[in-house]
Amino acid sequence: MSEQTKAIRRPAEHRYAAELARLEADDAASPRPAGWRLSPRAVRKFLLGDAKLNITRKFYGDDPLADRAIVSLMSQQGLMLVGEPGTAKSLLSELLAAAVCGTSALVVQGSAGTTEDHIRYGWNYALLLAEGPSERALVPSPVLNAMRSGRIVRFEEITRCPPEVQDALISILSEKALALPELGPDAVAMAAPGFNVIATANLRDRGVHEISSALKRRFNFETVHPISDPDFERELVLKQLAERLEPAGVLVRGERDVADLLVRTFQDLRTGRTAEGVNLNRPDAVMSTAEAVNVLHAAALEAAYLDDGRLSGVHVARQIQGVVLKDSPEDGKRLRAYIDHIVKERAGRSGVWKEFYSAARSLKLG
Amino acid sequence: MDAPVLHDPARDLWIVPIRHHSPACAAQLECLLAAVAPTAILIEGPLDFEPLIKQICDPRTRAPVAVVALRDMEKGGGARRVVSYFPFCNHSPELIALQTAAARGIPAHFIDLPSTDPAMISGNEDAGDRSLLGDEKPFSVGDYVTALARELGCRDGNEVWDQLFEARIAEADWARFFADVGQYCACIRGAVSAATMEHDGTLAREAQMRALVARHRAAIEGPIVVLVGGFHAPALIAPAHGAVVEPKAGAGRCYLVRYGMRQLDALAGYGAGLALPGFYERLWQARGTGGGSLALELITGFAAHLRGTNMAAPSLPVILNAVEQAERLASLRGRPFPTRDDVIDAVRSSFIKDEIPLGEVPLLAQLRIWLCGSTIGDVPPSAGSPPLVEAVRERARSLGFTIADGERRTRELDIYRKPRHREASRFCHALALIGSGFAQRTAGPDFRNDAGLDRLHEIWSVCWSPQVETRLIELSEVADTLMEALATVLVEKLAGLAELGRGCSALAAIDLYAAACRAGLGETADAALDAVERHVLDDPGLASLIAALTDLVLLRRSRDILDIAGTATLDRIMAATWRRILTLLPELAWIGEDQLRPAIAAMADLRGLIELARSSAAPLDLGLFDEALARLGEAELDPMLAGAVTAFALTGGLIAPAALDQRLRSELASGYVDPADRLAFLGGVIAIARELLWTTPVIITALNDVVAGASEADFVALLPHLRLALMPLDPRETDRLANEIADLIGADPHRLAVMVDIPEADLAANLALERELQAILAMDGLA
Repeated sequence: MSEQTKAIRRPAEHRYAAELARLEADDAASPRPAGWRLSPRAVRKFLLGDAKLNITRKFYGDDPLADRAIVSLMSQQGLMLVGEPGTAKSLLSELLAAAVCGTSALVVQGSAGTTEDHIRYGWNYALLLAEGPSERALVPSPVLNAMRSGRIVRFEEITRCPPEVQDALISILSEKALALPELGPDAVAMAAPGFNVIATANLRDRGVHEISSALKRRFNFETVHPISDPDFERELVLKQLAERLEPAGVLVRGERDVADLLVRTFQDLRTGRTAEGVNLNRPDAVMSTAEAVNVLHAAALEAAYLDDGRLSGVHVARQIQGVVLKDSPEDGKRLRAYIDHIVKERAGRSGVWKEFYSAARSLKLG
Repeated sequence: MDAPVLHDPARDLWIVPIRHHSPACAAQLECLLAAVAPTAILIEGPLDFEPLIKQICDPRTRAPVAVVALRDMEKGGGARRVVSYFPFCNHSPELIALQTAAARGIPAHFIDLPSTDPAMISGNEDAGDRSLLGDEKPFSVGDYVTALARELGCRDGNEVWDQLFEARIAEADWARFFADVGQYCACIRGAVSAATMEHDGTLAREAQMRALVARHRAAIEGPIVVLVGGFHAPALIAPAHGAVVEPKAGAGRCYLVRYGMRQLDALAGYGAGLALPGFYERLWQARGTGGGSLALELITGFAAHLRGTNMAAPSLPVILNAVEQAERLASLRGRPFPTRDDVIDAVRSSFIKDEIPLGEVPLLAQLRIWLCGSTIGDVPPSAGSPPLVEAVRERARSLGFTIADGERRTRELDIYRKPRHREASRFCHALALIGSGFAQRTAGPDFRNDAGLDRLHEIWSVCWSPQVETRLIELSEVADTLMEALATVLVEKLAGLAELGRGCSALAAIDLYAAACRAGLGETADAALDAVERHVLDDPGLASLIAALTDLVLLRRSRDILDIAGTATLDRIMAATWRRILTLLPELAWIGEDQLRPAIAAMADLRGLIELARSSAAPLDLGLFDEALARLGEAELDPMLAGAVTAFALTGGLIAPAALDQRLRSELASGYVDPADRLAFLGGVIAIARELLWTTPVIITALNDVVAGASEADFVALLPHLRLALMPLDPRETDRLANEIADLIGADPHRLAVMVDIPEADLAANLALERELQAILAMDGLA
């Protein structure tokens, strides 16, 4: 067993190796941008699915966005994916990189500790001291690697880096070249065709930095929104729940009704308005689809291991406070108001809502 | 599903399926007509519009234009006016067909039911302005279109249509193009039930079309082209049954009018046509180049438009990126050139360097407005616009209003200093009152409420739209000038007040009359005068009459600035209202207890009115008021009302302060069961003239005597009511009164505002009492 297949989570190019191979075989004659492994249409099929080639859909909710993202990667501009946490920005970036250049592994993880070296290059100091600056002593960053090999580099959470570090990307994106002055006055790494950057960013979270206008101009922005269709979100949540539970051999019952309750609750709180048109106070906490899957997963595990295996509103009620009570103490009051007015009303009409209500009422929400 | 036959060789009929306003259909139709060389063209359009074909094809006609049909419908016992439109734009296949027929000298005929036929409006009788082109909803909703969109990777029915058909605007094979349109529309029709088509009039219309096709086929030799919405094409192959429904003489009227791009927009709610028509207009213009330069033109055009707004304009690299983005999106999506959604997507990706919140961002909203367009077409003088329309247009032009497009503009009018601006203001008021939707006042002095009189300018938001002309056409049957129209509308609205439940409201009637005066109606309002007077004479409410008369006095006071020429009419209504008030005044003696407070409030307003009339020299016979008041005073009155009447009499100098003193003392010392009643008289006095408290010392003296002579228990009982009676006083007046009293009793005025500490024990006792009270209230469910 290789190192990759043992990992908790394998990168997209391994998970979907068979699909990528099928697409590549089918796509051999199609024109493609220089340096791309697949044609833009095949990349689209990889993201959005194709029944004929048995390609599964991996990105949901906004097909035109996938088109725009693919086309942006063909241009001189980088691609900036922005939006609330949990809207599958990183997944989209990983899938795009895997499909376009065959690897999603060239990643810079943005954080407060990211330095310019992570974007440009560093040194193997033992070799540097022994031999002086040389190609052998140079430790290229994922960005430099991607430039040299004509591939896509992913920059995760770019707004977590200080702006001066982010700005190291400006000249790389506009010149498509990186000077290596230590190796000689003319030493320059030129980007091979196919090089581009996909950055993901959260512009509204706490503890993020601004992006300079100069850097913004070098990107095309795409906003990834939470899924707005409740039926569709429910199916997606159920699908991802099954993906998590099946490998562990966990079986639960009644998950459809509970998923419906959960998705409706999340949609109501996320938009600040119920399906019936009642306005609510929106919690500050992120109520993403990914969080919904986490809640349902935790609820399912509780039902399976600590209960009789029937997933109910009670389990969701116990887990939901962990999602809502993260950011602001006010959120507890907002959830309380939602439970007291909206959930209570629905409890009179449906069993699962009744369970949810009776369990949620006893939560300590501040 | 098989495609319907395009050519029926047995009858030499070409049944051409189209979508209204589709540039690709129009371009392919040009090719078809050139190849087929028909001897006649039949078009899906109301039969009674035939006389207008000549005007539509007039070289001076510039699209967009529309035939507007007016007809009266009987509904629920009353008649209702229905207005509907049949619009043409440059890229309407129907317009191309009509123009080709005119150029070739072959006949062109409309073959649909007359616009007055019930089937033409069934389905949504209650809608307002509507389109006669038929419902295009099936192109955007329904399982078939949704499934097709999913299959093609399109977001909606509109993108499907663009991808399947608009992208083929320059395709050489017109026969294949129309076969495909036919097939697509036949599939959409397949998803609609026969019952729906029966209900919405589709089947009746198709029967008419078949019958008229048969009639023309019999009369004309050679190939005939029949141009119908793709939805109806499959039904036209069948042989005709039944007779032709002929237009009824005098059933309705139709005119060719200027129309606007904004109204053509399907998103604007008129139901027919493609969304964002400005895009299709440009596609039509670019048909010669096969759409190749369309994205470049649109994106640079929009960037240039942004430079003229206060939004940040994109730099050249951004524009280039957007054009490239649009081209590549089209190529990825398998289109020969970028269509509407590709261009919108490209602008979205390239122009906006930020997160886009759910909903819409200003830049994209601006793009939609720009892609919609604001052009308004023109019709030849022979289109015979009614005199009213011509007169108003002429007047608008001469006053400097732009009527060549449908943009909303802001106009600031300096009404005090510039006579021309005053005229423009009256014009706006007039068009607002007749309900044309042309002008809306957003700021300015309010002569009616006596507010904002220090504002020098009036600000209007104005927008000339086809609806303005349509409203004028409607009114043109009864009026040739704007003033006549205004008078008619005024009479109609006065008559309509009864339906609104304000049948005898002087205030509502005078509101309307004052609006008409502001619009410059002047002496022409005589026709409405009787109706206004009738409302005044029927109004049983003193409050409404007083408010109405106040309005009139204010209006008269502003007569110069409002350019109200003669005041004879105004004076006549004022006199009538005043008489009515004086007639009703003595009747106050018999009002019920529940009416008492509103009556006192009305009397307070009446005092304001009298002072206003005095200060503005309004021609009211104020002497009559004293008589009416005396008549009221003779009756046995409730103490509060008596107080009010006494206060009036005192301020008018009809009685001496001594009379007030005597009455007040007797009231205060009276033996009413409820102590509140002892102070009701004083309450009435204060409501009408609270300045009497300090101008007429007898009141305070009387009060002081009563309070000084009262026992502790009596004083405690009286205290809350005394406070209530003095409630109308503002803090400054309270201070003044307190000082007067201090003077009277020789107290030090500086000691009046003292904080009296409550002993700890009292506080605790009070708090305990409050808790007890709350517990009792909670027990009763009142907490």
